[in-house]
Amino acid sequence: MTAYILNLLVLISVYAILSTTLNFIIGYAGIFSLAHAVFFGIGGYTAALVAMNVTPEFFVAIPIAMAAAAVTSLLLALPALRVRGEYFVAASLGLQVLAVTLFSEWKSFTGGLGGVIGIPAVELFGFPVYKPWQFLLMSLICLVIIIAITRTLVHTSFGRSLKAIRDSESAALASGKNITVIKTLSVVMSSALAAVAGALYAFYMSFINVESFMLDTSVLVMAMVIIGGTATILGPLLGAALLMLMPSALTYLTFLPQTEIGSIQQIVYGLAMVLLMIFRPGGIVSSHPGGGK
Amino acid sequence: MLFLQLLANGLQVGAIYALTAAGFSLIFGSTKIFHFAHGATFAIAAYLFHFALAGMGLHWTFAVAVAAISAVVFGVLLDRFMYAPIQRHEGSFFTVFVASFGIGIVVQNLLGSLFGRGFMSVATPLSNSVEVMPGLYLSPLNGLAIVCAIICFAALHFFLTRTFVGKALRALSENPELVRMFGLSPRRLSTYAFALGSLLVVPGAIFTAAGTGINPAVGHHVMLISLAATIVGGIGSLRGAACAGLMIGVAENLAMWKLGTQWSEAITFAILFFFIIFKPSGFFGRATVS
Repeated sequence: MTAYILNLLVLISVYAILSTTLNFIIGYAGIFSLAHAVFFGIGGYTAALVAMNVTPEFFVAIPIAMAAAAVTSLLLALPALRVRGEYFVAASLGLQVLAVTLFSEWKSFTGGLGGVIGIPAVELFGFPVYKPWQFLLMSLICLVIIIAITRTLVHTSFGRSLKAIRDSESAALASGKNITVIKTLSVVMSSALAAVAGALYAFYMSFINVESFMLDTSVLVMAMVIIGGTATILGPLLGAALLMLMPSALTYLTFLPQTEIGSIQQIVYGLAMVLLMIFRPGGIVSSHPGGGK
Repeated sequence: MLFLQLLANGLQVGAIYALTAAGFSLIFGSTKIFHFAHGATFAIAAYLFHFALAGMGLHWTFAVAVAAISAVVFGVLLDRFMYAPIQRHEGSFFTVFVASFGIGIVVQNLLGSLFGRGFMSVATPLSNSVEVMPGLYLSPLNGLAIVCAIICFAALHFFLTRTFVGKALRALSENPELVRMFGLSPRRLSTYAFALGSLLVVPGAIFTAAGTGINPAVGHHVMLISLAATIVGGIGSLRGAACAGLMIGVAENLAMWKLGTQWSEAITFAILFFFIIFKPSGFFGRATVS
């Protein structure tokens, strides 16, 4: 039972990192990305590659994974600079679909559909971290650091410029903000931090394949951000916890057909998205009650 | 020969894409609602057609009617009970998109639970392929899909240019304020747009169910294609969406000449990505972007 709870908590903290980093671009920069799982994946695959061929040292694998995601995220930043709204959603969808094809075809990097097997346990200064509670502690510390980073960024002039761009790009431009640099930086930041989640996930599972990095994951993370509440610190955490706990909670409802749990979970969060948008667009933890951005 | 075969398949798929994309483009152009659940309409029509024909054993005309009615009812209900309340309070692009996306997820999973998650297709006498030339297999469905698309576009063109409601819909896409001033209700016109736009997915849904087959995720695929076609063709341009839909269908199939089938969706998005970065206004779109 403890093992089960620890496992759930580790997964929640990994997804909380994803939702927090996605919230950074959705909530504060107004960049509505459906490609977050791509950077989750790049982080995972890169960390796995480094761990298996070079060293499983945390402070080597994670920075390399972050760098790889940061570089690829320029592909997302490019359309984000050119277009907004529906065009950008389409572009990010496109990137997600392309990435899934690449993940399943590029066998030397991702192991194709079979995935990467036998990723060694991560080491902290040479000490392997493999006990579940040690791993949980490590991922919680990562989560806290990432929350601290995004929180600090949001409250600096950088964060205020981001919100200004979100609310009116032309007004921000008129008051002398360098939109290109600010937007690109925010996408790069968010993607690099999402790679941390990917690396943690790869080390924790010791096996990854393309299934974890498909559009469904991007949608799930987006649902976490939206249901929890965009542009808040607590919202994405709450969303991640709720949506990760839901499948396990549903298994306790024995009258539901157990084979349909996955579908029921998706139906529940799909409906939650619809109802929230009609009655409370800001999410559960709403920063502007009665109507949000 | 493979080339001709792929071209023929491409034209059929392209005709279906063109119709579906035109439906999305009509709704999006006139009401400015980003109707992501358009793919869900497609899936519902396809599944109910399949159910009526294979499950209940109805005559095909009834099955077509079931598909058409369900598509229109679903579209109009969404407009009335989901988009209208959202637009009443704020209706930013983001809110509408999320709600629409949510409905798409619900429909996909409901269909999966009700009808199973595997591929399904219904065999009709028209689906049998005949070898017309050595190595070139065509079925009557190939030609029928293309003819049907041409008829639908002709009817749509007539409707939008000759009838009062059609003209009003075009006016709505130009200037909703002026339409209201003129004494027409944008809300009621929006219902017409949804009914018509949803009706346009029906031929595609039927040909897909009778041809290559359907699974619950088909709505997603269709939506991605319509979205790509609408943007590549230029938002608000029906002609653009139709041409782009046809182009994507052909490109997807021709790509199989050199690459594996798994790349077909990637090709679509490579085209879309290229357009978004280099020509965001599309073929026929206006220059405005943000």
